[in-house]
Amino acid sequence: MSAARGRRRAVRRAALGCAGLALAVVVLAPYAVMVCTALKPEAELRITPPRLTPLEWRPDNFLEVLGDPSFQGWLRASLVVALTSTAIVVLAATPAAYYTARYRFPGRSAFLLLVLVTQMFSPTALVVGLYRQFFELGLVDTYAALILTNAAFNLAFAVWIRRAFFAAIPREIEEAAAVDGCGRLRTLVQVVLPLSLPAIVTAVIFAFIAAWNEYIVALTLMTDPARKPLTVGITSYVTAYVQHWNQLFAASVIAIVPVVVLFALIERHLVGGLTAGSVK
Amino acid sequence: MGRWQALLWLGPSLVLIAAVVVYPAVALVRASLSRYSITGLYQGSVGAANYARLLEQDALPTVVANTVIWVAAIVVVTVVASLGIAQLLNEDFPGRRVVRWALIVPWAASLIMTSKLFVWLYDYYFGILNHALTALRLSAAPVDWLGNDATVMGAMVVVGIFVSLPFTTYVVLAGLSAIPGEVYEAARVDGASAWRTYRSVTLPLVRPALLVAVVLNVIYVFNSFPIVWTLNDRNPGFAHDTMITYMYKIAFKSSLRDVGLAAALGVVNVLVILLGVVLYLRTVSWREGEA
Amino acid sequence: MTRALTALAVLGAAATVLFGACDRGAGGGKSITVVIAEYSKDHTKAFWQGLSEQYTKQAGVKVDLRIVDWNSIDQQVSTMIQNNQPPDVLNLNSFSSYAKDHLLYPADEVLSPNTRDDFIGAFVRGGEYQGKLYGFPILSSARAFFYNKDLFARAGLASPPKTWDEFVQAARKIQGLGGGVIGYALPLGPEEAQAEWAIWMWNNGGDWKSGDAWAINSDKNVQTLRFLADLANRHRVTQINPGKTNRTDGAFQLFKDGKVGMVIGFSPLAAQLDADKKVNYGVAEMPTAAGQAVTLGVEDYLMAFKKSGNQGAVKRFLDLYYQPENITRWIAAEGFLPVTKSGLSQMSSNAKLKPYLDALPNAKLAPTTDPAWDRVKLDVQQSIGLAVQPGGNPKQVLDQLQKSAVAAAGTR
Repeated sequence: MSAARGRRRAVRRAALGCAGLALAVVVLAPYAVMVCTALKPEAELRITPPRLTPLEWRPDNFLEVLGDPSFQGWLRASLVVALTSTAIVVLAATPAAYYTARYRFPGRSAFLLLVLVTQMFSPTALVVGLYRQFFELGLVDTYAALILTNAAFNLAFAVWIRRAFFAAIPREIEEAAAVDGCGRLRTLVQVVLPLSLPAIVTAVIFAFIAAWNEYIVALTLMTDPARKPLTVGITSYVTAYVQHWNQLFAASVIAIVPVVVLFALIERHLVGGLTAGSVK
Repeated sequence: MGRWQALLWLGPSLVLIAAVVVYPAVALVRASLSRYSITGLYQGSVGAANYARLLEQDALPTVVANTVIWVAAIVVVTVVASLGIAQLLNEDFPGRRVVRWALIVPWAASLIMTSKLFVWLYDYYFGILNHALTALRLSAAPVDWLGNDATVMGAMVVVGIFVSLPFTTYVVLAGLSAIPGEVYEAARVDGASAWRTYRSVTLPLVRPALLVAVVLNVIYVFNSFPIVWTLNDRNPGFAHDTMITYMYKIAFKSSLRDVGLAAALGVVNVLVILLGVVLYLRTVSWREGEA
Repeated sequence: MTRALTALAVLGAAATVLFGACDRGAGGGKSITVVIAEYSKDHTKAFWQGLSEQYTKQAGVKVDLRIVDWNSIDQQVSTMIQNNQPPDVLNLNSFSSYAKDHLLYPADEVLSPNTRDDFIGAFVRGGEYQGKLYGFPILSSARAFFYNKDLFARAGLASPPKTWDEFVQAARKIQGLGGGVIGYALPLGPEEAQAEWAIWMWNNGGDWKSGDAWAINSDKNVQTLRFLADLANRHRVTQINPGKTNRTDGAFQLFKDGKVGMVIGFSPLAAQLDADKKVNYGVAEMPTAAGQAVTLGVEDYLMAFKKSGNQGAVKRFLDLYYQPENITRWIAAEGFLPVTKSGLSQMSSNAKLKPYLDALPNAKLAPTTDPAWDRVKLDVQQSIGLAVQPGGNPKQVLDQLQKSAVAAAGTR
């Protein structure tokens, strides 16, 4: 590589780095305000002129929120619902996606279309029917109700992504496994799944975030204040009678952390997974 | 292949969907054909009367127009911006990992939290946005972003774009990173300019990913409730509602308090989005890509 | 990899079974469902949980207690009733529609005579439908006129205004102080516009009804609404877009910031101001154009739904709540006003509540006994703010409201 080209490349990388930095700043700016506001004492929330950073830093706000038993209950509820429903999504979507990817059978298109259509129903419209149904099953105000609902609504994306990825895996690999004496299920589990890790990761991230952030169904089905997930619970910091914006934002920041952590851990695989939809 | 075998493999998914989506969907349709008192008490079947009354509502044209603007503005801007951002993230530069992590934050925060944050930012008296605008002399006076009829929709659309960018960018990025390097090499060897390469090489190869992004975005943005609900909370009437928030208001917040009418709108909403997606897919000939 | 997946599968299955089974609400055996609105994060659940436990010990009946925030309680209750699963005891701010649908027990079937006799007369009348008491008063509040003493001093105003002319003058003087100061914070946004509107309407001698018929667009009312529109658009003494401002995150918040000269508030606001210690405020009577100042009294209700076999259980629960030590303890904790005579005498020793308690006997209530009111209230909330916008038409808005009220009165 000539010196000139090397220099051009360095300049290009620097320019891209600046663009990346600018992008990160724009995307994170509102959340920076969130963090700063979360660190303010109550008296500083609304002063003239408005300030970005606090005059008096109060990291205690975070400790107070974390120590609040209500908040702990909400956090626990969110974790239980999001983790379990994600697990169910992966478990249910995998066989369905694999089967529809590999085999033609009557009703295949119908199934795929059904899965797509489920995404189109707004949970807001279905909430009343959901309540009735879970009431009849005696499951209102249980984690199970939210888990099942989130799992069902996130199934479509998982099935799509997994299916496309499975379809992209060459049949020869599986045929080789069959020759070695593996049954269909074993082939799936021991051969195909490891290859489709990116798709699994994608489905996991997607299902987790969707369940973590779901609002309207949780609002309707969970009535015990101690068992509401975070999205519903934090609305009680700013209501008709009290306005604790700093605590609201502290709780919101804490709520974002698990998702970002999960993402950072598995981000490497994510890009490959979403590729699936476009590899043909 | 035996049908029974198919059932075994598809079983869990089918059960989940049947239980959690089909049952309430049927309940929704039944509700749309019924009459309810203001308390929610069921009062009998009325056939298609709710649908007829829906068409008579004064606010419906405004709400429909709002929904079209809402969906179109957000999806178009998000997709175009995502193409650019994904292109950037596909390149190798120092700090790329951190930027990718930063981009996940608007997606990681729930819509409610982000909406409340923007209510805080848009505040007329104490919002940082107005403060910045007046301090930098970009505007003579503060703007009531969420109260002024002219700016409410724009303010909400900005939030919608903001929260849709991460997901869309990652979908496009996935498509981009699947393009093998040789293709670019070949284009370079042929002497194509950067723009020409992009148009004739990159875009077509990224099209399938774009398709997924557009379809999912349209569905999610159309069905989006928390953003409009939170940001439009203080405005009387229905001037800035989308079809989803209008449906909720009909059921619980307006003087109509009519669950049957709201259910009718709920059914209409599903049909509209179904029609929209089917038309779109037809237009881009989805079937030919089928395995 | 496989092992991880298997572990995940086992975890998922186990978790579902575990949580699904363990988290069932009230299992077998008798139980009643009690739905209470969340007045505060700190007090509501604590009190009602304690009460429920006491009740279960006494009566052996479990309580499925649901605390629902105000923003979603209407949706929750409607959902329950649509599914034919109404609660046994409900706390809400309206009742007559449920009474009209024959869903409720009247007082003589579920309240002991002692309890019934203890209610303050005005609140009993506010809970009656067709002569019977269906909406049992649970707590009340009264509005009062709050003013910022420091801003008044700066503007050279010696005392709070008593007439509307004095009010406009005071507002103009305060607005004239500049620096972002606001004369009067007028909340006519959808949250509780009907409350703000009612106070001004009554203080000009107008009312919702004339006799038994709706009279929303009477001449006096049109005059009042024009007055409010002028405050916003002609005198410019209000905050920005009053038709789009709610009380709690709008008008009250601005008053708590010390930016507002006058606002109509209630005892929870006073409690917050006392806690913040930021604003030197005073409480006075409403400025009036009709001689005698009138304020708004609001009562919230407890109601008992008719379900087979629950009458005895519900009766015991209500009697437990209405025991003076219980009801007064909770009302005091939340910062509201009593609805019983015993409560009134117990709480009158609290000097902070004096202005409201004094106003209580003369407070007017909204026409909650008329089932059409539930629709009218929502209509007012959604439309009255439009009248005070620049270019708004007060007469047209009131005519429309009148039309809808008459139509609502005639419907199911």
